[in-house]
Parts: sequence; C-alpha cells; structure tokens
Amino acid sequence: MTPGAAAVSVASSHARDRWVFLLLPLLVLPVPFLVNRYIQYVLNLILVYVLVGVGFNIVIGNLGQLAFANVALFGLGAYASGILVVHAGWPWWTTIIPAGLIGALAGILASLPALRRIRLFYLAIMTMAFGELLRWIYIRAEPLTNGSMGLAVPPPMLLGIRLQSDRSKFYVFLVLVVVMVLLTSRLLRSRFGRAFMAIRDNELAAAAMGIATDRYFVLAFAWSGFVVGVAGSMYTALVGHVTPEAFNLLELILHFAIVMVGGLASLAGSVIGAIVLTTTPELFRSFPGVQELMLSLLIIGVLLFLPRGLVSLLARRWPLFHERYYRE
Amino acid sequence: MALLELDSVTVQFGGLTAVAGVSLSVEPGQVRAIIGPNGAGKTTLFNAITGHAALASGAIRFRDERIDRLAPDVVSAKGVRRTFQNGGLFGELTALENVLAGLHTQVPTGLFGVLCGLPPARAAERAATARARELLELMGIGHLADQPARALSGGQQRMVEIVRALATRPPLLLLDEPAVGLAPAVREQLLGVIRRLVREDVMTVSDRIVVLNNGKVIADGTPADVPRNRHVLEAYLGH
Repeated sequence: MTPGAAAVSVASSHARDRWVFLLLPLLVLPVPFLVNRYIQYVLNLILVYVLVGVGFNIVIGNLGQLAFANVALFGLGAYASGILVVHAGWPWWTTIIPAGLIGALAGILASLPALRRIRLFYLAIMTMAFGELLRWIYIRAEPLTNGSMGLAVPPPMLLGIRLQSDRSKFYVFLVLVVVMVLLTSRLLRSRFGRAFMAIRDNELAAAAMGIATDRYFVLAFAWSGFVVGVAGSMYTALVGHVTPEAFNLLELILHFAIVMVGGLASLAGSVIGAIVLTTTPELFRSFPGVQELMLSLLIIGVLLFLPRGLVSLLARRWPLFHERYYRE
Repeated sequence: MALLELDSVTVQFGGLTAVAGVSLSVEPGQVRAIIGPNGAGKTTLFNAITGHAALASGAIRFRDERIDRLAPDVVSAKGVRRTFQNGGLFGELTALENVLAGLHTQVPTGLFGVLCGLPPARAAERAATARARELLELMGIGHLADQPARALSGGQQRMVEIVRALATRPPLLLLDEPAVGLAPAVREQLLGVIRRLVREDVMTVSDRIVVLNNGKVIADGTPADVPRNRHVLEAYLGH
C-alpha cells in the first residue's frame, strides 16, 4: 500500500467515527432524573455557554479576528427575547429565531470595521466599545429594558406549554444546542468554513484563490451572531431576569476563556470549555473569594501547559478530536 | 490575441515608483520569465496583475478585458493564479485543505445546501476532496495530504502551493520566485514539476525572458540573447 492510500483510509475512518458525537446528546438524556435542582440549573447554564463558546469561536478561532463583540451579541439576544415576551406578549419559543437574527444583525454591524481593513488591537478595542455602548443603551432604554433594575421575564412558553421546571428547559435547550452545533459543524466543514480559515491564515493568498474575503467576513460574523443570539434567548428563559450587569467586561472574559481553555477553532473545545468554566465557579460557590482564584488559576494553568486548550489533551488519545475540515 | 497585456503599467508607493511604465505581453502557451535584481519590482508587478496593488497609471488586460481595477478574488476567478514569494500557504490547514481552498470557486455548493446537509452539497464536497487528493498524487506528494502546511519543508510547501495554484487549471499562472532558497536537489524536483506542467498544458513553448531593473523593463528576449545584453550586465554586475 502506498503512503497516500494509508492516509485515505485513516481520514475516512475519522469521518465515520464522528457519528459518535451524535450519541453524546442521547447519553445525557436520563441525566435530569439523576440530579437535584441545583445541578440541573448548572447543566442548563452549561448548555447556554456551549452556544456562547461555539459562536465566539467562529470569529476568533476560525476567522481568526480579534473581535470581542460576543457579549454584545449575547446581551442583544437575551434582551430581544425578553422584550418580545414582556412587551409584545410573544410566547418564548417564537422569540428564539428573532433573537438569533438580532444577534446576526449585530454581528454584521461588528464586522463593518473589519471590512474597512481594521484589524488586531484596533478591531479588539472597537468591538469591546460596542459591547459597553450597548450596556449603556440597556440602562437608558428604560421603557423597553426596565433600566438597571433589569427586565423580569415570565417562565418560557413552548407551544402552549409552560416550561416551569429546569428539567423541562434542559430538554428544550439540548435540542437547540444539538441543532446549532450540527449546523455549525456543517458550515465549518464546507468550502465556507475553509474560506474562514484561509482568511485567518493568509488573507492575501485567500483572495488570490478567488475567495471573496469581505463576503466571508460578513458570513462568519453573522453566523456567530446568530448562534450567540440564540444562546441569549436561552439565557433569558433560564434566569428569567435580564440585567445590564450580566453583560459586562467580566462576562466577556468568561466567554473568551471558554474558547481558549476549550481550544481555539475547535467545536468540541467550545463544549469542553463551557463545561469546565461553568462548573468550576459552582464547585467553589460556598467559599467566597476562592471562586475567582480557582477560575484564574484554571485559565492560566491550562493555557500555560496546553496552548491549544483541553481538547488537545483528548486529541492526543483519540484522533477523533482532530477536527478535519473536509469530507471523504 | 495576447493572453495578458500590460500597457505602460506604473505602480507607486508614496513617493517611490516601484514599477515604471512596464509594457509586455504573454501569449497563450508561452512561458515567460521575469528576472531582475532584488527590489527590481518583480513582486510588485505580480501584485499589480493579480489586483493586490493599485496602478498609478497604465492598463492591464487579460483576454482583452481590463482587470486593473478589479479586486484580487475577481481577478483570480477570471483565471489568473499565483504563488507567493514568501510562502502563501494556509499554515494551519493540511496540504489537502490548501488545495481544496484553491478549488474554492469550483465547489458548487450554496449555504442552504451546506447547512441542510443536502446530498448534492455533500457530493460536491466529496468530489472536490477526491480531485484535490488526485492532484497531490499526480505531483508525487500525495503522502503529504494530511500534514498541516506549516509542518512541511520549504520545498514541499512550494510544491503544495503550485498544486493549489494549478488546481483550477488557470489559463495564466504567475510563479513568484518558485525556486529561491531551495536546496539544489529540491530545486531540480520542483523544476521537474513545472516542466511536466508545461508539457501537459502548453501547446507550444517559446521561452522569453523579461529583465526588470528599478521598475523598468531593460531587456526582453530569448534565453540566448538576454545574458549578452549590455543593460542586463550592468544591472547585475554594476558596471
């Protein structure tokens, strides 16, 4: 057998093995019946942050842009959902897609400086300012947002059913997460996702391959915004109370850490990052002050020894976690 | 009809004139070498042709169509492909993914088909992947397909980049310093690849060499004439 043929067989076995990932959601199905209400709440929070990480990773990991509008997209999704439920009287489930679309629109807005060839630190500070500007708007747009007091949102409705318990929310969230992760995986492993990464690695060469770079900037930011907007809508359904304080710079650091600790440009990494960074503070909830310490040590420790995130630890053992961006 | 026609092309950066009124034409099937000392304006000339550098004056026509105001991706889609002097591979992508990115405009999948995982989109992706693999095999570097580009040696990277540029069978291929910095053995291998391409894709080969110095064409002739040209000797030997 030639070395080339060997490579083919290895790669195609990976493509087959990826179906294992679809079994994971099935495995967690019975979990809500095994845990108490507090752990259930944390699990729901993990699901919200999985999408937060998956969306953010597209822009910073796959497109490789230092764009930090993620907390703005998250907040807009959360507020869009809350405002439509409270002021327009829409049932929560009908606000999921509008929240995603508002997030996508904000994502496109955040990509505009990038289209004007603004990159790196300049793009970073401008997109962070965008997030802070929105926080100011949440506080000032009192008739809509109830200002700094925050917007109280009634329990979410799904097709006429009230999702009162966190257990019922878990199943709805799980479906949303599976759908969004599946769609994102398809996008990234197509010519579109390859275009994102080509731009990240060498923008001039990407254009020389016929890749319309501007179009893919907009697409990456819009899809990222959609995913994070949906996460915002889930957040509203979970906590039932949306405040401007929830979308501050500390929250942005958490989003950033989820992506970095999990693994840049890795879908599986976003999931792992969300699990680890949501769980860690909760483990130390009864020790005030220790939470922040452990979180900081975790971020520093992981990135010092595993610059490609926790997912690289798994990839060492199971080649399945090496993400391949083509089909065989 | 000339494939590519440059008509007094001038490129300026601030006060510096990098390319000064260069006129030349390339016929279909012709191999043209552009040589000149460091800083002569070779790469800038390439950048002007591919839309990466704006012209101060002059015109560039590809198949009788003006391309000098077009964006690089549009120029590329028309059939002008290039390699980069300092390595233009996508470092984190594998050799195979690099070639797939080269095929970008030829994978007929839409966003909707991709998101829904429709069979035509899947089939198009699989066909492109098979084609990319085949191209790498043809050049004798099939065994590198699944290596990340950044892990390849200089010569291997150069070959993957040429395969990537050729993936769409472009009518015009611009190779920027394809052999510089390579060990003699690797250079021979690379030249072999280029010769094979020329023999496969080109009907008649009439080699001509253009010599640039200080942004100007100082000689244009056959490989036999050029080394005897007085201006060329001056440019290289500094007489």
